[in-house]
Amino acid sequence: MNGPAQIVIEDVCHYYRPPVGREVLALENISLEVREREFLALLGPSGCGKSTLLYLIGGFLPTETGKILVDGKPVRGPGPDRGIVFQHFALFPWKTVRKNVLYGLERQSLPRAEREARAQAFIDLVGLTGFEDSYPSQLSGGMKQRTAIARTLAFDPRTLLMDEPFGALDAQTRSLMQAELLSIWEKTRKTVIFVTHDVHEAVYLAERVAVMSARPGRIKTIVETRFDKTDPEVHRTKAFVDKVEEVWSLVREEAIKAQQKKSP
Amino acid sequence: MTDAGATDAKAAKAISPGKIPELMKPLLRYAPLLILALAWEASSRLGLVSSLALPPLSEVAAAWVDLARSGELESAAAASLYRGGAGLALAVIVGGALGIGMASWRPLNLMLGPLVELFYPMPKSALIPVTVLWLGFGDGSKILLIFLGCMLPVTIGAYNGARGSDRLLMWSARSMGASRLRMIWDVVMPSALPEMLNGVRTALALSFILLVSSELIAARQGLGYLIGSLGADGSYEAMFAVVLTVAMLGFIADRVYLAVVARAMRWRQ
Amino acid sequence: MKALSAIGRALARAGPIVLRASPILALCAAWEIFARSGAVTPFMLPPLSDVLARIYDDAVGGDLFLNTGVTLYRALAGFFIAVAAGLALGMAMSRNALARWFFDPIISVGFPMPKIAFLPVVILWLGLYDVSKITMIAVDAVFPVVTAVIAGIQGVEKELVWSARNMGAKDRELLWQILLPAALPQILTGMQVAFPIALIVAVVVEMAMGGYGLGAAMMQASRFADSRGVFAGIVEIAVVGYVLVKLMAMGRRRMLLWHAEAGA
Repeated sequence: MNGPAQIVIEDVCHYYRPPVGREVLALENISLEVREREFLALLGPSGCGKSTLLYLIGGFLPTETGKILVDGKPVRGPGPDRGIVFQHFALFPWKTVRKNVLYGLERQSLPRAEREARAQAFIDLVGLTGFEDSYPSQLSGGMKQRTAIARTLAFDPRTLLMDEPFGALDAQTRSLMQAELLSIWEKTRKTVIFVTHDVHEAVYLAERVAVMSARPGRIKTIVETRFDKTDPEVHRTKAFVDKVEEVWSLVREEAIKAQQKKSP
Repeated sequence: MTDAGATDAKAAKAISPGKIPELMKPLLRYAPLLILALAWEASSRLGLVSSLALPPLSEVAAAWVDLARSGELESAAAASLYRGGAGLALAVIVGGALGIGMASWRPLNLMLGPLVELFYPMPKSALIPVTVLWLGFGDGSKILLIFLGCMLPVTIGAYNGARGSDRLLMWSARSMGASRLRMIWDVVMPSALPEMLNGVRTALALSFILLVSSELIAARQGLGYLIGSLGADGSYEAMFAVVLTVAMLGFIADRVYLAVVARAMRWRQ
Repeated sequence: MKALSAIGRALARAGPIVLRASPILALCAAWEIFARSGAVTPFMLPPLSDVLARIYDDAVGGDLFLNTGVTLYRALAGFFIAVAAGLALGMAMSRNALARWFFDPIISVGFPMPKIAFLPVVILWLGLYDVSKITMIAVDAVFPVVTAVIAGIQGVEKELVWSARNMGAKDRELLWQILLPAALPQILTGMQVAFPIALIVAVVVEMAMGGYGLGAAMMQASRFADSRGVFAGIVEIAVVGYVLVKLMAMGRRRMLLWHAEAGA
């Protein structure tokens, strides 16, 4: 099952400072623990700061108030122990699929043959065999996201940070990718923190869902969402549907609040 | 978004914009120029560079005042600005009309389009010898040069802008009974305006370049000619003064143009 | 019979090329007809055939290649210096706030200035030979390169930068391996703007200073009322300019193959 707390977030606040105008409180007193090998979803309406929290964990934004500990050590910047996957893929367009996947591996001191082998293994894992020498501009959205996932998995991060990775894909590709992500997670058993605004996706993929409030973002509730994901019809079981409804009503309140803030 | 990592966020905190009062901002922005000016004065006076090659800024300023007082600067500027203005005005009117015309009438586009494409990559300054050949050293050759050289950016800007005219807007104007000409005036021209104005900005800068070039090479009066003759005389302070004047005029013209355009566009909204 | 069908086939193959060239051919025809019509004197507008004959004479005599070569040498030398300096300055300014603060007003004020006005100053400092010519060319051509480099680097999506940092890229690696390739399309555009400027300035300084070169030759012809020589110069410069612009476009396509499908 899951291990002890791997990531500890304590009383973290974050201010968003626009180039003009006053600063805005984006996150308020976030406290959260993520266990080893757990799949946790961060769910909330637009603007609630869920991506910001992910970036703080990733070290892309500095933690100014409170602390974030990963494996007992405070986060000081980005690093290969927390791999990130972005919604818009962030592939290097001038590199082929293979070169993209190799990039992270090149930063680690591995012998060349091993690097190439690992890269190929992950390209195969995400089902892109045969496309190693294609450029991102030649790939479909789903294929680009698979490349991004392969690239991040290749350098073997303990934790996977995913920022609405399937948001830019069409509905069919999205459900295919969700199932694939679960099977990859089963195989590699990493800690995953998955940001989304899609309730169904959160309940389906995650073991726990942290529902966030509208801005300033707080952790409203954490809901347990363990189901037998190997059952292909799991999303039709009563337990699942009830859970989705439960989480949805939590989110709906916040979504309405977020809307009201936009039009005073 | 262009954040370049956590370190930049820290840098942004350090230069937090809220802490600098509004009036100080332009001062802070242009301060490096002030520093350069001081460095100029200092290195010249201290002999770090030959004061022949780089006269102290203060002496250049004094020479500028002399030139202004004697009226030499004024008459040279008048000659130059007359030529530049006339050439540019012609280029804008004819070029703009051509561009809009090409976007509105296919036959015109078919005829002139390839010509525009052909002459676009040609360096306009290559026209200097031929205009001098035809019209000599006087105003005429400069005006013709600037007219011919600056027409293209305006034409291309007007053409692209007019092409982008909202089809629906045009059709609804037509259905309301607007004649072809009327439609061009009411619909095509306004939507062509932003891009055409951009083309005019390019033409403005180009007109300065062509003006100064031709006056340096083949003229009997004007700012470019004045620079050359002062240099030939060895009056380097005065030469620097006029050089800086010309450079500043080019800069000011561009900024004034932008401000006027911004004001006019806002008024239109 | 066979000959006719062979001619027919040749015409068919030549068809599209002729169609593309037809405006130029029409222009040439118009020039020739108009010049010989008597509406203008041969002095004002020498017939195209005379001008072409003159170009041929120059080519045979070696003058054409000498002058073209000299002008190209200066333009290219100034251009490459501008590119190197522009890259260096642009990179420094994107990464260093002090460099940015210092050079920003210099560049934004210098851009719209007719920098050719400084030619007499440059001659005063650097003499009457190639050094001053090439310096003037470089000074003019550097501006579009610097602004393109800065815009290109600052325009790189933050997710690309974050992904690279995530994979352990350090500052220097980030600049050379990620920022520059990502900014390449924009940098190439800047170079494509800078080259015609370099050519124009080369021609102008030659006109002002004499000696060898297409500009100097043209001005000389003008002084001697040699209208054929002047028009020959225009045609030569136009052709040189056109060829080089096309070459640069081809080079760009080659370098940006990975962008090709993206249509940039």
